[in-house]
Amino acid sequence: MASSCSQALRHHACKSSRILRIHLQKSWPNRGFALNSAADNQPAVSSLEEIVIPKKKTWSKEAVLQALVSTVNRDPTASDYRFQDDPYLTPKTSLDFKLFSLSQESGRNTAKYFINKYPNYFQKDYAQPHIPCLMPETLEARIEDLSEAALTERIELRKVRAAVDLYDQLLQAGTSVSLDVTNDLLDLICFYGDRDPAQENVPEQRSEETEDVQEEPQPRKGRAPKASDLLKATWKENNNAERIFALLSEPNTRSYSALIRGMVKYGAYSRAFSTYTDLLNNRLTADVNIFNALITAAPEVQEKYNEKWELIVDLLKQMAEQKVKPNLLTFNAVLKALRRCGALGKSQAFPVISEMKALSIEPSLASYNHVLSIFYKTGAPIQGQKDILQEVMYEVSGKSFTPQDPDDAQFFITAMRICLDTKDIEQAYRVHELLRVGENWRLMGNDLKQNIYYTRFFSLLCLMENVDVVLKWYRDLIPSVYYPTSNIMTDLLRALDTDSRLDLIPQIWKDIKLLGHANRQKLVEELLALMAREKHSQEVQESFADCALDIKRMYNTGDRGKVMMSWTAGSLSDVISVLLAAQRRQDAWDTLKLFKTHNRVPSAELLNQFLTCVKESGDVDQAVELVQISAGFCLPETPELIQRIQQEFELSEQHKSILSDLEIRTFNSE
Amino acid sequence: MYRRLIHIYQVRNGLIHIQNRRLPSTKCKERESFVPVIWATGRASQRPLGTSSISFSENKESSTSLSEDNKKRPEENEASAEVNSDRQENTKINEGNEISNAMLTSQLETEPVVKPEDSKKFDKTKTGKESLLELLGAMKVEVTTIRKIRPPKIPRINERPDPQPMESAHSMFQHATAEGSQQRETLNPTLVAAASAAASTLPNSRQAESELLQQLRKHEAIPETQRRADGQNIGDIIADMKVGKRQNGRSNARPSSQIRFDDDGQGYTQDRGITGELDAVRTRKSPFTSKRLNIFTAGAEQDSLSDLGPTLWDINLAKQIVQTTNQMPRNGFEEMIQWTKEGKLWQYPINNEAGLEEEANVPFHEHVFLEKHLDESFPRQGPVRHFMELVITGLAKNHHLTVQQKQEHIAWFRDYFQQKDNVLKEAEV
Repeated sequence: MASSCSQALRHHACKSSRILRIHLQKSWPNRGFALNSAADNQPAVSSLEEIVIPKKKTWSKEAVLQALVSTVNRDPTASDYRFQDDPYLTPKTSLDFKLFSLSQESGRNTAKYFINKYPNYFQKDYAQPHIPCLMPETLEARIEDLSEAALTERIELRKVRAAVDLYDQLLQAGTSVSLDVTNDLLDLICFYGDRDPAQENVPEQRSEETEDVQEEPQPRKGRAPKASDLLKATWKENNNAERIFALLSEPNTRSYSALIRGMVKYGAYSRAFSTYTDLLNNRLTADVNIFNALITAAPEVQEKYNEKWELIVDLLKQMAEQKVKPNLLTFNAVLKALRRCGALGKSQAFPVISEMKALSIEPSLASYNHVLSIFYKTGAPIQGQKDILQEVMYEVSGKSFTPQDPDDAQFFITAMRICLDTKDIEQAYRVHELLRVGENWRLMGNDLKQNIYYTRFFSLLCLMENVDVVLKWYRDLIPSVYYPTSNIMTDLLRALDTDSRLDLIPQIWKDIKLLGHANRQKLVEELLALMAREKHSQEVQESFADCALDIKRMYNTGDRGKVMMSWTAGSLSDVISVLLAAQRRQDAWDTLKLFKTHNRVPSAELLNQFLTCVKESGDVDQAVELVQISAGFCLPETPELIQRIQQEFELSEQHKSILSDLEIRTFNSE
Repeated sequence: MYRRLIHIYQVRNGLIHIQNRRLPSTKCKERESFVPVIWATGRASQRPLGTSSISFSENKESSTSLSEDNKKRPEENEASAEVNSDRQENTKINEGNEISNAMLTSQLETEPVVKPEDSKKFDKTKTGKESLLELLGAMKVEVTTIRKIRPPKIPRINERPDPQPMESAHSMFQHATAEGSQQRETLNPTLVAAASAAASTLPNSRQAESELLQQLRKHEAIPETQRRADGQNIGDIIADMKVGKRQNGRSNARPSSQIRFDDDGQGYTQDRGITGELDAVRTRKSPFTSKRLNIFTAGAEQDSLSDLGPTLWDINLAKQIVQTTNQMPRNGFEEMIQWTKEGKLWQYPINNEAGLEEEANVPFHEHVFLEKHLDESFPRQGPVRHFMELVITGLAKNHHLTVQQKQEHIAWFRDYFQQKDNVLKEAEV
């Protein structure tokens, strides 16, 4: 209806314009020409224009969602997305974070385990269309007879022992197994080092990673469990892989590839090289995987730096001879090997990168990571190699990387470590900027690596930046992505100190409590010392006093088996002087009594300070009591205190007698 | 290349000379061994020579115009320098040029014409003296040995219009008085002033000045179009230089070396300045543009061995990479993407028929017109038929079942009624 209406309208408009045109033509015959031509041409032009019907566009199934994702930014006030389901479970400390994420993951794994363990209870398929990933996986072999198909099934299920047994049975029965299946079997055996794989459902975060991050673990730490597996599992001579390999009448390159890779993976480096020689003797050519494995093994079989490098170059030359095209992993292996070639690495790293570029292999973050590691050894002094990091950042900045190498995830923490070592805040910002490009954030790695990265970044910020910038980052990062350790909080306090923004301490203390560092004695003592050190304005002192009382409470309550802090003389006197500065005499008096209960001795300075404060209020009783306390600790300065009281206070008779009594007693004790 | 250019230039000079042969030349003897050869080649290949020279001029423009503003300056400079230079030091080629350029003109130019102009100019010179000094100061003093190669270069710039200046020079002698002033006007007054000022410093000032002016005029005679073309080419070349490494790296490499040979003063330093800057840029990121290992050749093809699909190693490498990277979703949409990839989520854009891809291939009439399935084995009429018609009507409207299921449904009734055949018969009968 509406459309027909509009059509009619348009028609009408057309008509009227035509009428108008006729009128115009009549009235101005001369000018009519221009007008006419213009008006008449219009439809002609539109008919000439070809109507291009756009092609139907097929969207990928994620396109809509990806567009939506691009509209969402990180909310610095929210916790990680994983924990947003249940506000009660919002982690507040790094320990909570680990606990919650691990339990979430382990819950998933448990569910999966039960579904796979008892598939018969999970056969009902509600979903339409069918969702394969929700159905139980088959983990048990179903083909029982002696056949190649059964062997293939066992290989797919990664049952090393069963597959080897079946293979032997097949051979004994006289059935020949095709070369491809045998190669698959070899792959399986070599990959798992001739033993059954461990439980597949390993949690996403391993137990080893729950160690304190404070120790700044080596970059390799993330894969520590694997490394330890490697140490346990070594290549045994004449294991099943070698035995089956020997049974092959005509092993091809793939068979050799499986064997050599397995040998390298399980530490039989020299055997790998001899197998390679064997391959060459059989007039076969190696494939890229063999070379990658051998390059990885090269630093292990040679002692001297130059010998290692010569071996690598030799391998690369053989690759070129055999017309094997190197890939990214080849060069990453070369660079990784160069890390162990001492000074040679520094001279050869860039030619390797240039070679990559000449072959139009774009270096991945792992390549840059190796370059950085070559030039900046951990613990080694930095001798003006700042520029290498700069060059690397110049190369990578603005680029979006896709994960291609397991070592890619090392780049960010390595780069940040160098920034921290060289105190180069500018490059640190560039590294951090790179993280925001594209999908680069994925390459930061798991939670442990993120934590290391942010620890380095933030301690660098605390060192180099002024406190406003530090606090800006602090608000941005903590606690949504990063749960700082107590050492980092100490750094932050020092940053506040250097820029004399100590008035922010009560705020920071709240965060410290939230982050679960309120029972870190070192941190708390540092905080108290900072508060007590200087005089501030009245309101700041008030907030300090509140904060100090709060801290005092922390000392008293050792709930849920947490480590109890013990009062020291320093911390007690710090609390008292903060309270005195805020004119909280009563609180200070209560605290003063703690000296006695905790067997600490107050300093004369503190008592003098206290006395000054008491004098301001003119409370004679308290002053005398103070001296009594002082005498109770047998402080050598007690006579001076008595003298002061006698001079500065108007004493009653009773007080005088007490004082003189004390005077005599202290005199006697001396 | 360079040598050939010179040669061509010599040829050209030779031709010019031949044109002017009847004119008395004192130095002709010196060139006698030289001229006949050119005579022969010039005759034999006059036309090709013309074309080649043009192509050369283009080539050469690209090479010489490196020092763009140098071009003009050396000309003036040369004009003044030539006066200073000792002719004996010049090579034969040089002499050849000068014979054609300077000697002829100096001999033929009528003194009276120049004189009044000179006197006029001298007044101007007083004021222009400083400008000359500036010019000279800017140019630096050129070493005479460098001049040896210089002269051939300048005429090359105006190779194309060469006939014209020659013509004009030639005719000029005839209509010297008439055209002299006109010619003069084409010269830049500052140039003239500078030339006369330079000449005044010499003992034989008048002759020197006339020579100078003649020389200048020759260069002024270059048509504007040619100049503009030059300018464009210069622009191209500069653009080329900025690009840096191009396929024709040779032509780029040459100009710099040429200039280096030409004079080690201005051109050299300028060349140094530009490329030096570029070099500085390059050295800034030198570590990543350093020499390569040179083990592999780019584009080497791998023998297709590993096209068997992903092996266990490949799968596990991928898995390892996934494990080392952060795959946790950061927000709800990312989680939805993850679910979509796992197949847990209804795909966007929403399509009600998702997962019904097989069913989409079945035309609707298969679903709706089910009578054909009744024909074979059901009675044509009667209650069974009536019942089955109701069944297929119901089935036709049922969108939950596939065609296969509908057929199975009908088949079930077929079996049923066949089993109950005797019962039915009893009842019916």
